[in-house]
Amino acid sequence: MIELSQVSKRFGDETAVDDINLKVAKGKFCALVGTSGCGKSTTLRMINRLIERSSGDIILDGQALEAYDPVKLRRRIGYVIQSTGLFPHWTVARNIGLVPRLLKWSADDIQARVDELMALLGLPIEEFAHKYPHQLSGGQAQRVGVARALAADPDILLMDEPFGALDPITRIKLQDELASLQSRLHKTVVFVTHDMDEALKLADHLVVMRDGRIVQQGTPLALLQHPKDLFVESLLGGLERGLKQAALTRVKDHMSSLGPTLPSQYRISADFSLRQALSMMLRDHTDRLAVVDQHDVPIGELSLRKIVKEAQLEKGSMREA
Amino acid sequence: MKHSDQHADRRLWIRSLLWGLLLVVCVMGIAHAEGLFRWLEPDARQVIYQRAQFYELLGRHLLVVGVAALVTILLGVGAGIAVTRKKGRDFLPLVAQLSSLGQTFPPVAVLALAVPVLGFGTLPIIMALMLYGLLPIVRNTLAGLHAVDEDIKMASRAMGMTPLQTLYQVELPLAAPVILAGIRTSVTINIATAALGATVGASNLGDPIIAGIINGNMAYVVQGALIIALLALTIDSLFEGLQGRLRQRLSSSQRLS
Repeated sequence: MIELSQVSKRFGDETAVDDINLKVAKGKFCALVGTSGCGKSTTLRMINRLIERSSGDIILDGQALEAYDPVKLRRRIGYVIQSTGLFPHWTVARNIGLVPRLLKWSADDIQARVDELMALLGLPIEEFAHKYPHQLSGGQAQRVGVARALAADPDILLMDEPFGALDPITRIKLQDELASLQSRLHKTVVFVTHDMDEALKLADHLVVMRDGRIVQQGTPLALLQHPKDLFVESLLGGLERGLKQAALTRVKDHMSSLGPTLPSQYRISADFSLRQALSMMLRDHTDRLAVVDQHDVPIGELSLRKIVKEAQLEKGSMREA
Repeated sequence: MKHSDQHADRRLWIRSLLWGLLLVVCVMGIAHAEGLFRWLEPDARQVIYQRAQFYELLGRHLLVVGVAALVTILLGVGAGIAVTRKKGRDFLPLVAQLSSLGQTFPPVAVLALAVPVLGFGTLPIIMALMLYGLLPIVRNTLAGLHAVDEDIKMASRAMGMTPLQTLYQVELPLAAPVILAGIRTSVTINIATAALGATVGASNLGDPIIAGIINGNMAYVVQGALIIALLALTIDSLFEGLQGRLRQRLSSSQRLS
């Protein structure tokens, strides 16, 4: 658990981070989003004390940050940056084993851990263990960067635009892998990005920053439904917001029970997103889909009219409240 | 790629071996080549420098250059490291200026100034060589350390390396090729410069040259100069081999990316 209260950072006269309050619960994925220079990276670096804050308190697992020795603190916090920061004169295996070696693990333990991580991140050992960073593609290098950050099994993972330099296809692939990794490992993650889609896709808790301040924070769905101002709304994609919101909800949360007849010849899996369902309706010129489980057995139906009506009801209830 | 690298590496070592062999042949063989030098100086009483054996002169020459190099490397690399640390950063301009000042002083002038203080012999020449050889080492140490990517340094800090660990495991290995190039320049220049020591009573390969100039005996001059040149070539090619090996070990990031 990470807790920042009234944290500020000033560089000379300039205030980079201004009175930030932020709580990241254990095992949660928190994304800091904002335009460049909004203080999100500075906020991240104050957590592992690469930058010392000017005022405010940061509490980590119930203890003030000052109670930790900075070097030891950093060894238990994973850190991933956009340019990977891999050591060019070390092999992939040695790069990954860095923190365990600093912690003086035995050679066998380090070897075993490196093998485990390379398998976890889809880097075949025979092919990659002895390569040097310059022999890797951008996506492979960033996988090594993530493996290095996870090596000593830290509870906390700080990621500073880790996928920012990758091509769109590789970026999406790594996002998916990170999401599935996180669903198994349950690290406490603080993730900095300027890509809102990336943040919406990965985050449990979304923090929008501007000029060193937090403009709004909450779950991605909450922000999509009630953006606080025009800035948040434009970051969230303006008119596209409806679709982004649909991307965050599952088909199964909107389906109604199955009638006596199959509603449509078109089928969609219950685990797909509502956005995918809407796209399918547009493509196949239908306003009803049959919802199936993983064995392709129909379990319900999805109707466009009903989805729209639900949204209206929700809006109405909001007005009343 | 790797294979051809090793090939080139081996060629470098063979080259320095050949220069070294030639050096040994000359040092041992000059005494027996009277005929050859007689042709150069037909009228001289002696054509082979006799006051000391050439291998003794070579040994003393190497000792002077070696001691000067060792001290210079320790001082130069040490100063370069010190002023790139957080605490020493204020001294960066001072060290850079002092080391370039050292090279603007002609070694002869340093000798002239040093003799009254240190007396005749090897000390003044070691002093002169140190001052003269400091600049390339300091300059290259600074350049090499500055060239290490900021993100790599930050990553090493963020992973929990202490400043010393970052220095020894990251910064110095990455800067090593550039630093070594500086040491190579410094040592190679000083092999030639050390001959000046003969003027202040430091007996080395400069002796035959000075004696030859004083007595108008070209044969002596050629003997001293030949051995010094071969020594410089041998040492220089050894450094080249060392650099090649370093580059290979680093599998340098500059090659493919």
